[in-house]
Amino acid sequence: MKGAQFLVKALEHEGVEVIFGYPGGAIMPVYDALIDSRIRHVLVRHEQAAALAADGYSRASGKVGVCMATSGPGATNLVTGIANAYMDSIPMVAITGQVATSLMGTDAFQEVDIFGITLPVVKHSFIVNSSKDLPRVVHEAFRIARSGRPGPVLIDLPKDIANTVSDYAIFTSDVSEQAPAPSAESIERALELLKSSKKPVIYAGGGIGLAGAIDEFRDFVAKTRIPVVATLKGLGVVPAKHELFLGMMGMHGMKAANQAVQDSDLLLCIGARFDDRATGRLNAFAPHAKVIHLDVDPAEVSKLRHADVAIIGDLKQSLKALSQPVAIDEWRRECMVTKESTAWDYNAPGSEIYAPAFLRQLSERVGDNCVVACDVGQHQMWVAQHFRVNRPSQHLSSGGLGTMGYGLPAAIGAQFACPDAMVINVSGDGSIMMNLQELATLRRYELPIKIVLIDNHALGMVRQWQELFHDRRYSEVDLSDNPDFTAVAESMGVPAFRVEHRSDVEAAIERLVNQPGPALAHVLIHQEANVWPIVGPGKSNSEMMDEVVS
Amino acid sequence: VSTFTLQIRVRQADGGLERILSVTRRRRFDLQQLAVNATEDGAHLDVELTVRGDRPGITLVRQLEKLEDVSAVTVADGSVELAGARSA
Repeated sequence: MKGAQFLVKALEHEGVEVIFGYPGGAIMPVYDALIDSRIRHVLVRHEQAAALAADGYSRASGKVGVCMATSGPGATNLVTGIANAYMDSIPMVAITGQVATSLMGTDAFQEVDIFGITLPVVKHSFIVNSSKDLPRVVHEAFRIARSGRPGPVLIDLPKDIANTVSDYAIFTSDVSEQAPAPSAESIERALELLKSSKKPVIYAGGGIGLAGAIDEFRDFVAKTRIPVVATLKGLGVVPAKHELFLGMMGMHGMKAANQAVQDSDLLLCIGARFDDRATGRLNAFAPHAKVIHLDVDPAEVSKLRHADVAIIGDLKQSLKALSQPVAIDEWRRECMVTKESTAWDYNAPGSEIYAPAFLRQLSERVGDNCVVACDVGQHQMWVAQHFRVNRPSQHLSSGGLGTMGYGLPAAIGAQFACPDAMVINVSGDGSIMMNLQELATLRRYELPIKIVLIDNHALGMVRQWQELFHDRRYSEVDLSDNPDFTAVAESMGVPAFRVEHRSDVEAAIERLVNQPGPALAHVLIHQEANVWPIVGPGKSNSEMMDEVVS
Repeated sequence: VSTFTLQIRVRQADGGLERILSVTRRRRFDLQQLAVNATEDGAHLDVELTVRGDRPGITLVRQLEKLEDVSAVTVADGSVELAGARSA
């Protein structure tokens, strides 16, 4: 058997069902072997979309996402998607073709040191230098990608190794993928802090979903009845309507969430990492709180904020051990009162489309069997604030890297992971252009993805910052010469229509949802619509700016 | 600002040493001294690394320990203050 044939067999053995990729010279032996495989290959139209689709597939399914490209430019085009997965701890295996080992280091055609280029954005990486290494490398790549704190792993496969005929045998190992149990001492100290706390808050991050600990987390919340705030990636750890859920925290967080954190005397940081978008000015973040930090990655503990107690290891076990009632009735009431008094008012003045209301209405219409994938910018924050999700796997958002162009490929990945779900891509007129070519992928596979393109004729988030923090000195944010998006979509086989007035929103949502196959709704909003509230750069989360209605 | 020395054992594999140097740079520590010796069996490298930085040394140690090819990180100079991250 050839190395390439073995690779495909080993991928099947690892449970791979879908690969997102793009062929080319150095990876051709693998594409040849794929013809005889049960693995489904999805041909995207740009390698970046392959990596981002594999990311979306992983987030929606909980499985390892796999992407593949040829050497040189194929490989470099994967880099943004690999970095995206790295920043958000998404398990991924990226396979790149490489020139033959005899040509490596000679500046051969389409030779690039993708191993070197990706070193800072992979959890680990391999060059397959010898055919005898191939079985171990494939197995290790998957083990490393999904164990502990997940992340992307690169396999760079030279063409001569892919063509080497040998007696390959599936490699197995007994290395445990189980995260270690938390120490009894740390649990005991955490329970003491919990007992003496009068104002605890749970700060929930993406690590909860990644650890598969949603059930344990919900039990923990049910038993302790501690108010919950979530990071962007933590949204869905409890259903959006959960009584104890105060909303997203941070730069565009809900007032009730940020206020509770700022007033708390004990912060339970669970699977989160004190990212600057969540904390605002770090030395003013939760100034009165002690910290219990639960994480699988010891390097995150006390990296940015000192943890009074660190609970390292398996989140499921840690949460079970901490699930005890706490007496905080007064604090809970206080949080609930703030939540109620600061609830969002969707009745904005004017007749133009109000994006928060549009997204809330859409999320209520589509119900629970949906996945929303967004791009990056204002619309991303509106989705996080107003689209109600009930599980983290329903909300695909590029958190750490903030990758414009993420949404459409991620939605494609999600649709392959969840064929029966309604997959929605909420995008902006800036972001959609970064992977617009993937409309052709929707057409090719008849993917019934619904695109909501929110158009303000600007790079809205940058425009907003220039308005608020740069004295309205607008620099390179005008997109008033956008193409006719409906014509572009139609030409690529995606039915599309425009929505311009608030009175048309309900009918537009119905039309979008009921359209068989893919569809795009081009939603026009006011250019100066901003995301509120906002914590300005360098400001504390106690200093939220809100819209001044004149 | 503190200066301290780490002894690291890393697998002799593609990128083993590069990853250590890359993590050190990315986490904002400056290299002061570097010595690398292959173990007798050739399977590992013993790396002695002296670095300078104004972040707590423990943050670098923990990042290095995460590298798949790194099997041990020890602090050579016991006097170095490794404990305590920046607190609020």
